[in-house]
Amino acid sequence: MTSANRRAFLKTAAATAGALSAAPYLITSKALGVGEIPPASDRIVMAGIGLGNQGSGDQRRFLDNPAVQYVAVCDVRTKWRDEARGRANERYGNKDCQALLDFRDLLARDDIDAVHIATPDHWHSIMTVAACRAGKDVFLQKPETLTLAEGPVMLAAARRYGRVVSGGSQRVLEDYRDLVEPVWAGELGRITSIDIDAGPSSMECYLPAVAPPNDIDWDLWLGPAPWQPYHPGRCDGNFGTAGNSWRSYVDYSGGSLTDWGAHNFGGCLFAAGLGDLQPDRVAWHSDDRGGGYATLRFPSGVELHCNRPAALRPHDAPAQVTHQRGITLRGDGQTVPPRAVPVYRGSRGLHGDFVEAVKSRERPFRDLDIAINTMVAAHLLGIVRQLRRSLTWDRSRQQFHDDPTANRLLDRARREPWML
Amino acid sequence: MATDPLDAPFTALATFDWGGDPTPLADLESRVREAAAAPPLAGELEPRFAELLTSSAPLAAKAFACRQLRLIGTARSVPALAGLLADPELSHMARFALERIDGPEAGQTLREAVPRVGDELALGMISSLANRRDEAAVPLLDALLSGPEPLAVAAALALGRIGTPAAAKSLAAASAASARYADAWATARIDCADQLLADGDRTAATALYEAVAATTGPAAANRRSRGLRIAAQTGLLDCLENA
Repeated sequence: MTSANRRAFLKTAAATAGALSAAPYLITSKALGVGEIPPASDRIVMAGIGLGNQGSGDQRRFLDNPAVQYVAVCDVRTKWRDEARGRANERYGNKDCQALLDFRDLLARDDIDAVHIATPDHWHSIMTVAACRAGKDVFLQKPETLTLAEGPVMLAAARRYGRVVSGGSQRVLEDYRDLVEPVWAGELGRITSIDIDAGPSSMECYLPAVAPPNDIDWDLWLGPAPWQPYHPGRCDGNFGTAGNSWRSYVDYSGGSLTDWGAHNFGGCLFAAGLGDLQPDRVAWHSDDRGGGYATLRFPSGVELHCNRPAALRPHDAPAQVTHQRGITLRGDGQTVPPRAVPVYRGSRGLHGDFVEAVKSRERPFRDLDIAINTMVAAHLLGIVRQLRRSLTWDRSRQQFHDDPTANRLLDRARREPWML
Repeated sequence: MATDPLDAPFTALATFDWGGDPTPLADLESRVREAAAAPPLAGELEPRFAELLTSSAPLAAKAFACRQLRLIGTARSVPALAGLLADPELSHMARFALERIDGPEAGQTLREAVPRVGDELALGMISSLANRRDEAAVPLLDALLSGPEPLAVAAALALGRIGTPAAAKSLAAASAASARYADAWATARIDCADQLLADGDRTAATALYEAVAATTGPAAANRRSRGLRIAAQTGLLDCLENA
């Protein structure tokens, strides 16, 4: 129910109640709203899907927001589900939060305005599209996509159904100010090239079979991913990417390449003003040790070098700025007019920006379109690394030009009964 | 006599199970990466992976072979992969390869499997046919529309993804067998209209958007129905802008 409709409903309900009875009726100050707390009818009704390490942090931020009324949690693990329900109930001093196993049951609730999703990456596209079709706005944790083919489907659903969908990297704005501010102030001139230290891709998982514990629905955890036997290291939600976490494995994540890539690519593309673009060419440069590095070229002419050896980097750029996470932006040093740096709405960070966008129906700071473009850069790099040859990317067709083998890597078959 | 360097890793793969030493698999993965750019090498690897699929190798080994065939599989692997489509443990992994193999053989194999693998696995075939935008599957999917859920719903959504004039015709003629499916039918029509509009067929897209707008009405009953109404109306606006 939208805010306007809820208000209309409450008006009707109040009139009906008045007509039926003249008895005193007490409405609490919390329900009416007080201070910065809006009345219940104007709060954004929210729920969470995936309440593990990252999801629990997201939930806390939404629970702390007085504009949000948090009503339900969903997780395939009993422990996460119960703990998340407990946090919501403690926050409101009641037992109203519903705990659900299956996200489809949560999306079927018509009273929920918006959901936050922090499952492993292999669920992101299916859940986001389903949420948009169900009329929910979505705060989606990064990495937003697992494959290149997912992005356009997700974006089409968000736009066609009129939903607000925010990506989840808070670091893009908060961690790279020493890149963003000088560039947007015009101090480097026109950006010409970027160097970035991108992380490794995810790997295959060959962990042995272990009997699943009772507190996880293993089939639902796997969902559209290939069936593999349960092992705690396969599905652990820790933030490592070098093994024994789902972030390490190719069926569920792009590894550090996309996990940290969502931040690092997102940060440098935002700083360089490339957030709306996708590369049109990815060049692979082999070295003599069986490795190499890649260069993503953007239509504006900017080149983004990924893991280029220090010896090959220029040392005479007219202007440059470097971030401690291995990102360097170079400019031509010419005079360009300063621009105002986009910022979050409100004062509650990226999560608050999403809530404000839900209320205003504007695009959030980390709009899905921009988030997907960031992931495209990371996925293109991953594919070029795998094939070790240069590729041309056709943004309009969302395909590699004249390379059937590379196009096989655009997507993966989903395990039945799931389809995107 | 010289030993074939592929013998050792394939011998190890034939008995590989989860928890085993993955070193030979990493060797094969590396060779597959090289083969993706070198057809002669792919020609050596592909028949070995396909042969393994028809052997008594463990599930993990066959799943690994399917992953490699996703990258280097051709029509030559299709018969071996087809043999796995009715196996509940390996059907998805067979599609993992088949869905990404170009050419008519893979599509035909997926279509032929729909009526013979049971409803649960057939959902996977339909998903793969949708991802392939397999226009030849339209008659098959059309026939499923009048059947029971969930195949009917999956078929409708697949027709939406295929998004050709033939798919549009099928969706336009179909009526939801049950009111429960009405939203899925409308969603499929929206998807199909979006694809038609992207392909420049504004007239067919307009007809589908109008059909959805007519069924949702101004006083849509719930959030999902209101979303469909928004989708139909914004689609119609896009059609006008592209006129």
